[in-house]
Amino acid sequence: MTELRVERLDEKHIRISGLTAMLAAMLREMPEILELRDGPDASARLFPDPTAIDDKINREWQQMTTPELRHLFVSAAETVTRDLILLAGSKGAPEAYEVTFPVEHLTAWMSALNQTRLILAEVHKIDEADMERRDFDPQNPKHLAVLRIQLLGYLLHLFVELENGDESTDRI
Amino acid sequence: MLRPLEPPTFSPFLLSNQAKVGKDGRVWYGTVNMTPSNATGQPGVIHLDETATKEELATPWNVIVHNDPINLMNYVTMVLMRVFGYPRPKAKKMMLEVHTQGRSLVWSGGREQAEHYVHQLHGYQLLATMEKSET
Repeated sequence: MTELRVERLDEKHIRISGLTAMLAAMLREMPEILELRDGPDASARLFPDPTAIDDKINREWQQMTTPELRHLFVSAAETVTRDLILLAGSKGAPEAYEVTFPVEHLTAWMSALNQTRLILAEVHKIDEADMERRDFDPQNPKHLAVLRIQLLGYLLHLFVELENGDESTDRI
Repeated sequence: MLRPLEPPTFSPFLLSNQAKVGKDGRVWYGTVNMTPSNATGQPGVIHLDETATKEELATPWNVIVHNDPINLMNYVTMVLMRVFGYPRPKAKKMMLEVHTQGRSLVWSGGREQAEHYVHQLHGYQLLATMEKSET
């Protein structure tokens, strides 16, 4: 079995290799999930208020700052969507998939992966207890969403390792 | 072309409600009065309320990062290093505080800078708020 890896191919490119068919399918589903960012569930999480109590500041923030934030998130999603066109089977290992993208897209990838995880969590109302579950029912949409969040989280962890060095992969 | 997750070059909200940008591009703080001055009678003379200015500038704001069940620990550490330039041990300590106590005060200072940091933290999808310091 091929190991999932995120590595610098050279000075200008990063490669994700060893993707299983399931993980490759999850990545291809990301653009569709990211489109849910403006739904009532996800928008409150992705575009939170800056204060707990000051309605005036919160209102002004939502009017003036949130559109800029939204533009940032959409831009990252578009970049990753374009990169995913190149996702294909590996030459040496046909059961595995890989994709290569420019180093400058690293932050966009981390943003899109995390956006996707957060949107899935909001849409499926996933909480701390759900994330700690060890049982798994493939017919349960919430369990499938947790699986997606965990697997995309592992990929995000590999990106952070590439950027930051080794550290614990636990959630906060 | 990807826009990196960097602070915007200029966002009107990054100025406090008490701050105004003059025609010369300088930022003014305090209440701006565009009516003629009693003292000079000249229209367009700007009076700054110095008391409000000093109070506004003197009150520090805290930037708080809150716990959430999805964000990864090493991701949060990386974000705190990127946004504030903290060394890894300090960023990791704050991340663990979020993890164990539900929140961590990650920065304290002027309001505009606090807004700037909250904006950046939201850009990385961390749950962050700002609040006036009680001390």
